[in-house]
Amino acid sequence: MFRKQLVQFRPIIALVSVVVFWLLAPVFIKSLLKTTFYEFQAPVSVTASYIRQLQDFWSGRLKSKDDLYEAAQDLARLNAAYELKVVESISLEKEVARLEELLQLPSRPTYRYEIARVVERDFNSWWRRMVIRKGSVHNIQHGAPVVFTGGVVGRVQEVRKYTSVVYLISNIDIRLAVVLEGDNRVISFTGAQSTAFGNPRGLAEYVPTDIKISDPRNPPRLLTSGLGGVFPPGLPVGYIKNLRQGAGGMFLDADVELDRRLTHLSEVAVLTPILESNP
Amino acid sequence: MTPEEHQKYQARLWIFYAILGVIILTLVGGLGFRQIIESSAYAEKEKRQNQRRILTPGPRGNMFDRDGRLVVANRPQFSAVVHLSDESIRRAFRAEYLALVRDHRERGEKFRSRNLEIQARANVIQSYLDNINLMLGRDDKVEARSLSRHFETNTYLPYKIIDDLSREEFAILLESEPINSAVDVYVSSVRHYPYESAAAHTLGYVSTSLLEPREGLPGSDLRTFQSKGIFGRNGIEKFYDTELQGSMGTEIWTIDVNGYKFSDPIQRIFPRKGNDLQLSLDMDLQMVAEEQFDKYESEGALVAIDLNTVEILAMVSKPDFNLNDTSPSFSTRAFKEIEERGAWENKAIRRPYPPGSPFKLVTAIAALKAGMIDENTVFDCQNQMMVSGMKFVCHSGNHHGEVSLRDAIKKSCNIYFYNAALKTGVDLLSQEAIFLGLDKPTGINLPNETRHMIVPSKEYKKERHQASWYPGDTANMAIGQGFLLTTPMQMALLTGSIARNEVITQPSILKQSPKELVMRPAPRPLGLPPSLHKAVVEGMEKVVQDGDGTGRFANLRDVDGARIAGKTGTAQVRRKGGTIEHAWFVAFAPANDPQIALALIVEGKNLNEGHGGGTNAAPIAHYVLRKYFEKHPEDLRPQTPTIANVALP
Repeated sequence: MFRKQLVQFRPIIALVSVVVFWLLAPVFIKSLLKTTFYEFQAPVSVTASYIRQLQDFWSGRLKSKDDLYEAAQDLARLNAAYELKVVESISLEKEVARLEELLQLPSRPTYRYEIARVVERDFNSWWRRMVIRKGSVHNIQHGAPVVFTGGVVGRVQEVRKYTSVVYLISNIDIRLAVVLEGDNRVISFTGAQSTAFGNPRGLAEYVPTDIKISDPRNPPRLLTSGLGGVFPPGLPVGYIKNLRQGAGGMFLDADVELDRRLTHLSEVAVLTPILESNP
Repeated sequence: MTPEEHQKYQARLWIFYAILGVIILTLVGGLGFRQIIESSAYAEKEKRQNQRRILTPGPRGNMFDRDGRLVVANRPQFSAVVHLSDESIRRAFRAEYLALVRDHRERGEKFRSRNLEIQARANVIQSYLDNINLMLGRDDKVEARSLSRHFETNTYLPYKIIDDLSREEFAILLESEPINSAVDVYVSSVRHYPYESAAAHTLGYVSTSLLEPREGLPGSDLRTFQSKGIFGRNGIEKFYDTELQGSMGTEIWTIDVNGYKFSDPIQRIFPRKGNDLQLSLDMDLQMVAEEQFDKYESEGALVAIDLNTVEILAMVSKPDFNLNDTSPSFSTRAFKEIEERGAWENKAIRRPYPPGSPFKLVTAIAALKAGMIDENTVFDCQNQMMVSGMKFVCHSGNHHGEVSLRDAIKKSCNIYFYNAALKTGVDLLSQEAIFLGLDKPTGINLPNETRHMIVPSKEYKKERHQASWYPGDTANMAIGQGFLLTTPMQMALLTGSIARNEVITQPSILKQSPKELVMRPAPRPLGLPPSLHKAVVEGMEKVVQDGDGTGRFANLRDVDGARIAGKTGTAQVRRKGGTIEHAWFVAFAPANDPQIALALIVEGKNLNEGHGGGTNAAPIAHYVLRKYFEKHPEDLRPQTPTIANVALP
């Protein structure tokens, strides 16, 4: 009778045992299990990502030659424009380097761009993170800044062997030192909660009281300050919306509207500072 | 059981039921009493035990000059702080304390728990600080005693571990410290003075002290922790402290049994910035005046007044100090240095000086009003005259010969004014000085205006010096010496009164609104008929406009229409071993339509050193008036020639 009852409770006993084991297990065991779980899960996600990429490839193959020819022409024009910009940029960089040397300013770090495909995105209102298809084997580092053509994406939060987890700037655990375009006063930016699958948002604190939104169609833009040592300066972060009195009474708080493309990115770049070797 | 027995037990059972009923009723009643009647009292008690109130100051209001330029502002001060009431910190304190106890026991050393607690807290906070030091390349250390004091008295207020972060360091911490870390970035407001030492005494300085909870804030019955607020200690910062003071913010937190913050605050009122003030000061004029004083390392004071509104345009007092040395805190070194230089005092309103020759204008007005002289009265100056058997001389050995009122003012002839005063008498002379407001504070809206100005009289001398008044005292008073004492502020008002031929009072350091201007007290007429007033003004014009006038260094010949009326003076102050001479200059302009009046004094530095209003004070006035007319060319209107013009060679 008792044995029969015990058999009935077997699933519950198993569950309780697992919970008790998890609670009592040493930290390194938990860490090992967690990493193992992700590393085993990763190939599945990566494979799914490759399949999606293949799908994109075949959907591209289905396009007509005319369409492809037109797209190639557009691309060629764009490339030509970019080549000009690159030449301009090189010349400006040289000028900046000359001025820095003249003014004996410390040299700013240069970055290596590691392009990575997005494996999966988690856009529920709590997590706001994404997994990218580059990991420690690609020399991705914890805390590294992640960018895309529209500006800042976020920071690398976890690095696995072949994948990495990136916290988006709309994540409430991310904080950046930013400035307003044309202004050098440091403002604190943090991610803010938004509705599931809603537009990504942020919160700016310590906004100087003289900042106004004079034209709502052309609101002030936030850029990375470059002072925090993580992000290079001048990367777009978002636009200031709805200024209001801040907590200390000395500054304003502001809602920040982030780039909508953050919710459907397929490719990002991870920045790795190139350290100058000492002579 | 037989029915009889059952009945017998039944009766006992009823008694038992009744007792039980009473007990239950008592319990229910007691429970009801506590739950319903006394519930609010218990709730209140629970609230007091479990809730804490934190007060934070609101930023002070800014100050702008009359042209809207920021003169006093708030500067954010970036700090790295640790929230000592954070649970992770509490755990770290405990773990470190136990580790220290274990170490001491293992080594067999005796220890005091209190010392180890202090040590444990310092070690934990130092470990946080070491991380920050590593990030910022600093070498800051935690002060164990101050940390412990803060922990015991202000647990709920953030503890500053670095309080002067640069913009770059602030940015690094923002990006490096996790948001939910016990270490946080914190921004507080400190006073900032963009013009540094300009108008230092007028603007005043602030210092920090504990906030006094304001009436009407929620949680007044709760145990309260308050941050330090900023309070005005001198100048406008003190006088308008209530207006500038921001409204406090309040947070009410629930705490756990160990006294640590629990969850989010249950009530929060954000602090609000105080009111801004628009001052009447014109920083262009102020800076020019200060530069001129600094150029010759002169000490003294200057006051310039807008004669249409009786607003102060500039107020200088030298030596001064850099107001930014007083904020966010006054270092002992800076305090001592100011003390040693004697730079605390606002000489424009605090220090009474003998008025010297500019007082001759009061003598002239008194004599004219009393009918003892008129515009054509002439006295013969043979350099000296005897008064009650004592020799009184004209200055610098001059023989002016026969001088009229206009020339007497121009040449500052002592003999003329001795005679005028002796004819008028001390009573009328004192009365006139009192009528012009030289016996009492001007009532300017600044703190600490002196009350030690003196307009002497027979009664004064008898009361203070137990001596009779002699004609010699009247002669001394006639030229602004003797017992007379006035402030530069009073002299500026006196000059304005002469300019407008009416007695002006209550100058303002704030820019007045049209409504406030209408509400100003109506000025009293000076009482001089226009022809006599004109004679005094023309005498003052000759002082500056004539090539041999004593105040010729103040004139603005190259500025069309900028005719200045002024009066120089040298006030002698007896010191051990000789006299110190202070140089005075008072003026208004344009002479025919006065818009601005000023008074300034340049103190003599060395004993028995020659010092004169014409050479030491008038040039400063020249630059201030030039700047004024550069800014207000509309105040220069074509003027009709006066006698002074005609008299020019």
